[in-house]
Amino acid sequence: MTRTLTVCPYCGVGCTFYLVSDKGRLVGVEPSTTHPVSRGGLCVKGWNAYAFVHHPDRLTTPLIRRDGQLRPASWDEALNLVVERLQAVQAKHGKDAVMFASSAKATNEENYLLMKLARAVFGTNNIDHCARLCHSSTVTGLAETFGSGAMTNSISCFDQTDVILVIGSNTTEQHPLIGSRILNAVRGGTRLIVADNRRIRLARHAELHLRHKNGSDVALLNGIMHVIIAEGLADREFIAGRTENYDALAESVADWTPERTAAATGLTADEIVAAARLYAGAERAMVVFSMGITQHSHGVDNVRCIAALAMLTGNVGRPGTGVNPLRGQNNVQGGCDMGALPDLYSGYQKVADPRLRDKFAHAWGVSSLPAEPGLPLTRAMDAASEGRLHGMFIMGENPMLSDPDQGHARKVLENLELLIVQDIFLTETAAVADIVLPAACFAEKEGTFTNTERRIQRLYKAVEPPGKARADWEIICDIAERAGYNGMRYTSPAEIMAEAASLTPIYGGIAYQRLAAHGLQWPCPDKEHPGTPIMHLDRFTRGLGHFSPVVHRLPAELPDAEFPFVLTTGRTYFHWHTGSMTRRTHLLAREEPHSFIELHPDDAARLGIRHRDMVLVSSRRGEVRTEARVTDMVIAGVLFMPFHFVEGAANALTNNVLDPESSIPEFKVCAVRVEKMP
Amino acid sequence: MKTITPDRLDQFFSSLEPVWELRLPILLPDGTRVIGSLNDGPLALHGGAVSGKPTAAFFPQQSTLFTVTDGAMQEPPPADRPLFIVGFPPRDLACLRFIDRFFADGWRDDLYFRLRQRATVAGLSGYCGPGGSLISPAGGDCDLEFFWDRSNWLVTAYSETGRKIIAGLPETATPEAAELFLQVPAEFPDKNETLIRHASELLRTNRVPESFWAEIGDRCIACTGCNLACPTCTCFGVQDWRSAKKTERSRMWDSCQLDGFMREAGGHNPLGSEAERTRRRIHHKLAADPQKWGEISCFLCGRCDAVCPTGIGIIAVARELVARFR
Ligand code: SF4
Ligand code: SF4
Repeated sequence: MTRTLTVCPYCGVGCTFYLVSDKGRLVGVEPSTTHPVSRGGLCVKGWNAYAFVHHPDRLTTPLIRRDGQLRPASWDEALNLVVERLQAVQAKHGKDAVMFASSAKATNEENYLLMKLARAVFGTNNIDHCARLCHSSTVTGLAETFGSGAMTNSISCFDQTDVILVIGSNTTEQHPLIGSRILNAVRGGTRLIVADNRRIRLARHAELHLRHKNGSDVALLNGIMHVIIAEGLADREFIAGRTENYDALAESVADWTPERTAAATGLTADEIVAAARLYAGAERAMVVFSMGITQHSHGVDNVRCIAALAMLTGNVGRPGTGVNPLRGQNNVQGGCDMGALPDLYSGYQKVADPRLRDKFAHAWGVSSLPAEPGLPLTRAMDAASEGRLHGMFIMGENPMLSDPDQGHARKVLENLELLIVQDIFLTETAAVADIVLPAACFAEKEGTFTNTERRIQRLYKAVEPPGKARADWEIICDIAERAGYNGMRYTSPAEIMAEAASLTPIYGGIAYQRLAAHGLQWPCPDKEHPGTPIMHLDRFTRGLGHFSPVVHRLPAELPDAEFPFVLTTGRTYFHWHTGSMTRRTHLLAREEPHSFIELHPDDAARLGIRHRDMVLVSSRRGEVRTEARVTDMVIAGVLFMPFHFVEGAANALTNNVLDPESSIPEFKVCAVRVEKMP
Repeated sequence: MKTITPDRLDQFFSSLEPVWELRLPILLPDGTRVIGSLNDGPLALHGGAVSGKPTAAFFPQQSTLFTVTDGAMQEPPPADRPLFIVGFPPRDLACLRFIDRFFADGWRDDLYFRLRQRATVAGLSGYCGPGGSLISPAGGDCDLEFFWDRSNWLVTAYSETGRKIIAGLPETATPEAAELFLQVPAEFPDKNETLIRHASELLRTNRVPESFWAEIGDRCIACTGCNLACPTCTCFGVQDWRSAKKTERSRMWDSCQLDGFMREAGGHNPLGSEAERTRRRIHHKLAADPQKWGEISCFLCGRCDAVCPTGIGIIAVARELVARFR
């Protein structure tokens, strides 16, 4: 019986626990009782995180497509072919004809390496990862307003706040150990506002539950700010001392009266006034948001409004306050920090800046690095169908299920000249690849993950990978070597982190021996720095906080006679994304065994649909069969569907329309029709 | 009765290793205290009950029942050495006694007894509770017991195996020390004891309205931790992993806080709401088990209260229940 400390492979809360193993097999988990985030608890996914690791479906050998079939191959064959074919695509169509997709499930070290591989070895900035699909709007919106796109405060701040505004986050299901803190805070007297039209668990504990129309967040937030200014609740001192461009904001919200806001959001004027007074009246107030804010064609605008609301009331830079985007994947914060982004190196250093390019080129021992920002992941499918992209190297992502407009994504992936997938299971995407590389999972390697509160934590190796599977970092280094690059020789992930830290000011003080059991929170610029639980204390990262006024824009596709419902998509508590791990975990799969769609009892009655009937849901992009779940979780006219399930895939319906600035798809609103299956 | 000085403990335990597979309270790198092996961290007998349930040694979170390869069935091989487990304070011993009865009743759980039967169990008591607090001795329910008298461990054997194990210890306890051990009241007064009995009474006399369970259930995030941490929770799920040549059947800890726990194939669920599941969680221990087994099956180890992210472990719920419906 051996216990190995690790970090949960699911959400961005970053609970730690011990993996319990017996003779090389995992047999369970045991929570850490001292961890500042999980404090002895875990959610159901954490408690079951050991359970998929030895699943017989794990990939155990490299696979190469021959005569239309994926067949086992040796590492030598597979990796030589990877290099040969990537180089061939580049020789034929140019450097930027290939794209690398990194993974928010991979470690910081692996994200750093893949971006180094793309840039230094293959000479392209076409590197991105699934942050594009979740918080790219946050990164863009907060970089502009605060100068840093991360959660401003710490998870412990939930214990020290007076009011929490949760907008577009189903926290108890998607960040359960933060959701439970919110529930505990409310029991201790903290007042809660939930702005989300689903009747999520937190809503049942909220003083105010605002069920505003999908896509009307800008109107709602402008309306709230209007009331705050009109009633003299703004923090004049903070505005004067710490911010700029206030007048423009005040002007932009001037005509967002409660009445106009009510009309735009479907709420009452009283609800808007009450929310404004409650939030602005608090000594310390936190805003929590997630995908309900970011996944819109105006996601960045939503984030700008949230930043403005917090600054307007002086709720930044103190304990129990702040703008708190909850990062979804266990290491999506780290994926961004490590520069798996088309326009940024690690630490949010711009590739467009020639001095930074020189710095990285020099450190990596190459003569130059590409200057043009690369393709965002969400533009890759279009680029491929337009003949600009011909090869993809995908590490640990499953765009076949996770990308919007699945029909389009499938066609593109199948038609790529070269598709290489590195993963732990044969996902829907890997199944159509030309070369598949078997990777080690979180329990089988070392590295670090960075959680949503910027806490960099170590994971340790508990068991050996199955068969010939290898850690992502080892595979990447091997590819680099075979491509003729000798600047990726490391004996351990600690060495990779040392290199990344030396090039990344916010990680400057990070070293394995300093991380111990509870890690460090960036910014951590030097070896003596204790880490930063709360950002923007005396000044914003960019200097003054910037108010960015926003004009309300409607979602790209609204219901009409043909497609009369709004479809909003998301996740369930029991599954993770495309389900490759959770659908192979007995208790989790049993809990939510198949695809479903939530619809309101009134809509169900009108359409003659009963609970658990099979229904056909169609949009302009496609149609899926799924099971009806008749529930007042949703409001009439709105349907909710999780995207985990390949049979009944929500993303066959969604709309690949992007926010012009962050390139995030509008997963949260599209128009559909629902009918009972004959 | 024997004594052993703290500095000789490691040596004493190590000397048992050729015969026994040792499991002891140890301190993990981040300060978490669990039952583990000496390779995992330093010995940590002080601190009371460990965080994970010690009964996991006999009923681990996941275990293989059998594998079938090319039509031939194989059971997992027996362990080469029997287990010797130290780290059961009296409440954990009570839990162990309870599940021993449960697993033996009717259809005898072979997988459990394969590990349990050959095992030797040592209790822990004395001034080794959290912050040096006193844990009264169990006085039985185990093979031997370690009692901390603030300077030495007094060791008493209750079974033949226990006596053999400590036979080699040179020192015999002084009469004063032995007297201290005997003097400590067998029933250590605990206000939670009264509380849980009171709550059980309220449940058995049907004095708790459904609305109460809805309210508590609203706070349950279905993490399943309360069940997984509980030493007297014995429910398990079964899964088959199939590959081309091999099928592996295993079982894993299950939880009545999950919707799928009771859901029938046709979709009907007798425990289909959080309120019903929460009610069941408490009712089972405080009302159903007393009826079937003659005793409340919560022995107040405190683990579900420690592990519950939203503060609705059984003691917290009992407290709320008694405060409201007394
Ligand atoms: S809350 Fe998140 S990090 Fe914690 S156990 Fe659950 S999924 Fe893992
Ligand atoms: S530990 Fe608490 S939250 Fe988790 S299942 Fe049990 S009662 Fe619910």
